[in-house]
Amino acid sequence: MLKTVSGDVEFLQKLNSSKFTGSVHSTFNRTFNIKCHQNGELYTIACRNVDNGPNTLIIDVDNIRPMEIAVNDQVFTKKNILHIGNKLAISFKNVNKWVSVVPGYPSNEEILNQNLKKLKKFIDIHGKSGGIKKHELPNSLFEAKMSSMLELRTNLLLDELAEDRMSSALEHAISIIGLGPGLTPSGDDFLVGLFTSFSMLNGPFYGRRSFCEDVVSKAKTLTNDISWMALQKASTGKVRESIILLLNALLGENEADLFLSLNKVLNIGSSSGTDIALGLVGGLEANIKAGGKVYVSTSID
Amino acid sequence: MLVQALIKPNTYFDSVSLMSLSTKANQIDGVEQAIIAMGTEMNKEVMKNVGLMTPEVEEAGASDLIIVVKAETEELFENAFLSINELFTKRDSGKKGKSDIKYSTISSAVENNPDANLAIIAVNGAYAAREARKALENNLNVMMFSDNVSVEDEIALKNLAHEKGLLMMGPDCGTAIIGNTALCFANAVRKGDIGIVGASGTGSQEVSVRIHEFGGGITQLIGTGGRDLKEEVGGIMMLDGIQALEDDEETKVIVLVSKPPAPSVEEKVLAKIKTCKKPVVVWFIGGDEEKITAAGGHFAKMSKEAALKAVLLAGADESKLNKRALNIPLIEDVRTKLKPEQRYIRGLFSGGTLCDEAMHAAMEKFDNAYSNIARNPEYRLKDRYTSQEHTFIDFGDDEYTQGKPHPMIDPSTRLDRFMQEAKDPSVGVIVMDFVLGYGAHEDPVGAFLPAIMEAKLLAEQEGRHLEIIGYVLGTELDPQDYEEQINKLLAAGVTHASSSQNAGLLAREFVVKGE
Repeated sequence: MLKTVSGDVEFLQKLNSSKFTGSVHSTFNRTFNIKCHQNGELYTIACRNVDNGPNTLIIDVDNIRPMEIAVNDQVFTKKNILHIGNKLAISFKNVNKWVSVVPGYPSNEEILNQNLKKLKKFIDIHGKSGGIKKHELPNSLFEAKMSSMLELRTNLLLDELAEDRMSSALEHAISIIGLGPGLTPSGDDFLVGLFTSFSMLNGPFYGRRSFCEDVVSKAKTLTNDISWMALQKASTGKVRESIILLLNALLGENEADLFLSLNKVLNIGSSSGTDIALGLVGGLEANIKAGGKVYVSTSID
Repeated sequence: MLVQALIKPNTYFDSVSLMSLSTKANQIDGVEQAIIAMGTEMNKEVMKNVGLMTPEVEEAGASDLIIVVKAETEELFENAFLSINELFTKRDSGKKGKSDIKYSTISSAVENNPDANLAIIAVNGAYAAREARKALENNLNVMMFSDNVSVEDEIALKNLAHEKGLLMMGPDCGTAIIGNTALCFANAVRKGDIGIVGASGTGSQEVSVRIHEFGGGITQLIGTGGRDLKEEVGGIMMLDGIQALEDDEETKVIVLVSKPPAPSVEEKVLAKIKTCKKPVVVWFIGGDEEKITAAGGHFAKMSKEAALKAVLLAGADESKLNKRALNIPLIEDVRTKLKPEQRYIRGLFSGGTLCDEAMHAAMEKFDNAYSNIARNPEYRLKDRYTSQEHTFIDFGDDEYTQGKPHPMIDPSTRLDRFMQEAKDPSVGVIVMDFVLGYGAHEDPVGAFLPAIMEAKLLAEQEGRHLEIIGYVLGTELDPQDYEEQINKLLAAGVTHASSSQNAGLLAREFVVKGE
């Protein structure tokens, strides 16, 4: 039997307090996803070298593949143990609980502004091209066209947000869902980063979080289940631990922390990390620009 | 420059693997451009903008993986897709031991395997005849899985095989058991003394598993391909198959499985039965009992009956067989649960013959059974997406499999339709098959369980009872766990039918009113 190292509080609560059955939805080298029969949500079981995330349990193993977990394997819980068919049993007793907490928006934007400049420079040099970050020499006409569309549409989206024109921003956001290479298309990853900036308490866009929900409600048929689940969670401020750490570092004054945490995000997927980071940067800059243009009260609700 | 696409439904690879695969695909000889991406609307829009749109890409969904290749010739495409598939297989199977030895031509395969006596041809239809001819010329029997081969080529190949005393199974032959080895889609069944010649894949599978269940076994299951009994082809393979089994010392009884042959072909087959020294059981779905009996054949109206007759002719003791009669109390119970407006059966099948058999059972009591495979054009579905009264759909038919794997491998198309039917308040019964065996989905019932549970819940919330019949075509020797598949159905509140025949009859009896 394998031990759970840490887990998302909500997932653990679900496992402990109610019936949980499902089937394996998809498998990868370091993670596999379970589709829950009760609520249709995807839940992730990940190796210890993966960071915490919403609906995720981290188990004490390096690689998933040797277990031969397969799509449609049946999943159920029994006496504090999560069973994946007869291939894997995971104990979720005495687990470190993790919760996604997006930090509040700073009262003084000076440090954030400085850090954003450093971050953009770092991404410019070390970020992966092929998604939001354009290849100087695209590999194909397809990639060239896709990158142009992503560039144009993300810029339009950020401009409209900065001007607090939410309905046209919504149109542009929808136009990038499902756009791009990879399992989680680049447009979706960009929105995950962007949505994170909306969840910063007292931020100019905090009162505009319904924008994220509106985008997600339109996204269901426009992208795949895995990417949609990440978008849906991000719309309510639930994102991977590495993104939270990066955001915290952006608000602090420790440059080493900033680059270490950024590096972890850039290592997500192929170009996904870069796309997420650029979404976060874009969202924070739009927050800064929007400032006084956002008319809705941003008081704590 | 030509563009072709391959769609892998509901396939997820991590982004790093996808990028790596994409890079390698673009390095394959002859590939001008290869794109591997998820089939989202936005990605499809980009493909359209850069001239990479194909009908298959148009149909793909957001969870499907799209592989688009731009190349100069058909042959380059074939090589490219084979190489790309190999990349995916390698990535998918990881480090599971040494792969089989691959030969690039039939001649080199024969040279290195002098004892081989059979070739399976599963290449693009445009090249299949050429490869089959090479195999026959090398004295190999042929099973041709490929379709889209011209009738002229089929006739020429079958004549060549006949002259050389070889089998030419196919084109479009998906099921065979030769020397106790299952080929393509077939089940693991006991070795015995009954031989089958079948023009219908799942029909032959069904008869073979019923024979196995009755305690009998199979010597050979020879597939003919679906077109063999048409006027033009003249039943060359069916006649040669009967002869081969007549000559086979281990075969005591022969079973023929097919839709009714063309009249001139039927005459030839009946003449062959007349002179055959071994008993021949004939299950021609909807066939003429009188003619078959007059020719000395043993007529079977349905699949289980064919298997039963075969094992009895082979010497089984009838008193010891469990014939699995219909459960009459269950029928009465279900009838009371269904509301008056729940009048219709919806049959959603992955096996064509299983669909045909259930439809024929319904046609005996209803004159409003429609299907995409109905022989009478009057009863063909007008719109394949919309059911009419009693509807029976063969999801393995070409119109549902364009650019998609067969429903025995990929359940997605049938799953969508299942939910559509489950929401229809005029539906009383949904009947489905779950085919096990080599080549089939590793957990066909499991793939449907979430949908079945959702459908049951939905019906309950709407205050109606939805009866779902599931039939698992398989044996305890199949690679999948047969018992587990049945238990999963039962646990989800599905009525398990013990045979294709019983599935059709139960569905019919559940919705018959006023009896």
